[in-house]
Amino acid sequence: MTQASTATATTSKWGGGQSPYNVSYGKIMMWFFLLSDALTFGALLISYGTTRFASNVWPDPNEVFHSFPVLSDLLHKPMPLMFVSLMTFILILSSVTMVLAVHAGHYNDKKGVIRWMLLTIIGGICFLACQAWEWTHLYHTGAWWGSFIDAPLDSVKHLFNMHKPGTAEAIAANPSVAANATHDFYNYFFTITGFHGAHVTSGVILNIMLLINTVNGTYERRGHYEMVEKVGLYWHFVDLVWVFVFTCFYLL
Amino acid sequence: MSAHHHHEDIQSLYEGDQSKLYSGVLAHHSDIKSEESRKQVKRIWQVTGLLSLVTIIEVAIGLGAHYAGVHSALILTVFLVLTIVKAAYIVRVFMHLGDEKKNFVFAVLLPLSLFIWFIIAFIVDGKHWLHMNNTQADTINIESTK
Repeated sequence: MTQASTATATTSKWGGGQSPYNVSYGKIMMWFFLLSDALTFGALLISYGTTRFASNVWPDPNEVFHSFPVLSDLLHKPMPLMFVSLMTFILILSSVTMVLAVHAGHYNDKKGVIRWMLLTIIGGICFLACQAWEWTHLYHTGAWWGSFIDAPLDSVKHLFNMHKPGTAEAIAANPSVAANATHDFYNYFFTITGFHGAHVTSGVILNIMLLINTVNGTYERRGHYEMVEKVGLYWHFVDLVWVFVFTCFYLL
Repeated sequence: MSAHHHHEDIQSLYEGDQSKLYSGVLAHHSDIKSEESRKQVKRIWQVTGLLSLVTIIEVAIGLGAHYAGVHSALILTVFLVLTIVKAAYIVRVFMHLGDEKKNFVFAVLLPLSLFIWFIIAFIVDGKHWLHMNNTQADTINIESTK
């Protein structure tokens, strides 16, 4: 090996036999997979944005997502942004516990990896439970793929006009825009949060597999915890996508 | 597994494990309680605080704008900038992309610059359709003119 590298020292470092990125194959491929996944999520979100730009009116997220389990019924008042903030915070925290698991892995600290992986899994399950509640709640208000509901043409409370003041005038000019905008909004919402939720689900399953392998000492025998790093990349990416979903669906 | 067989077993079990050649995963770090380790953990919690703070600011602006009934392009821009800031910290610190070699960072990030074209092209398209629907709808949709 030493002779070989001396002999090829004059050739390009991209000429083979070396690792110009100094990253293992598995980690490079995880990054490139995430790159392709980013393009998929990007396509979905940009398609959503285009449809929104092409609409005279659009559902106001603060009117659509205003419920909080128990609390909003108890207080009899809408609580916009509160529940999704909780979900966002849960996902950020589970990303933190994941990076701490990766950190423990760097130091071959098996107990640390187990502890932080366990918390990461709990965080992921909490997030999924929140999403299940939100979907169920929306479903019971009549929202689903293909639904036009929640847009009675006499009520424009939940819509706002992005392009000029006066939602009511825009709807009066063309009543179908209200129903169409609501229809599009829910289709995109359930598709994109559903696609993200599927990522969280598979992430939780991968994390459980990691935990089992760690407890069984697989990585300890292997001599390194790089698998925790690779799955960690995927888990952080899921958090990263949520940052954009949060902005696109709940804030804008 | 006895201690003196340990290394050999790794070799035979993971002959094709490139992780041992590259990435330095076998380069033994010191103790988890070392100064270096504590510094790294501190950085992780600092970034956690920052991400939470940015989220709280976003929610505060969102609620403020909602109750004031304001929808402005400036607020949208602020949200987008804060989102990019959060994304950058997650990728740089949590995903450790900041610790990789420059050429690898570019290999991952450069393809994403496609999004610049992607976003501009589709927003322009959406605006065009809005314009067409608002001004030319009657000439396209014959039903509505009857």
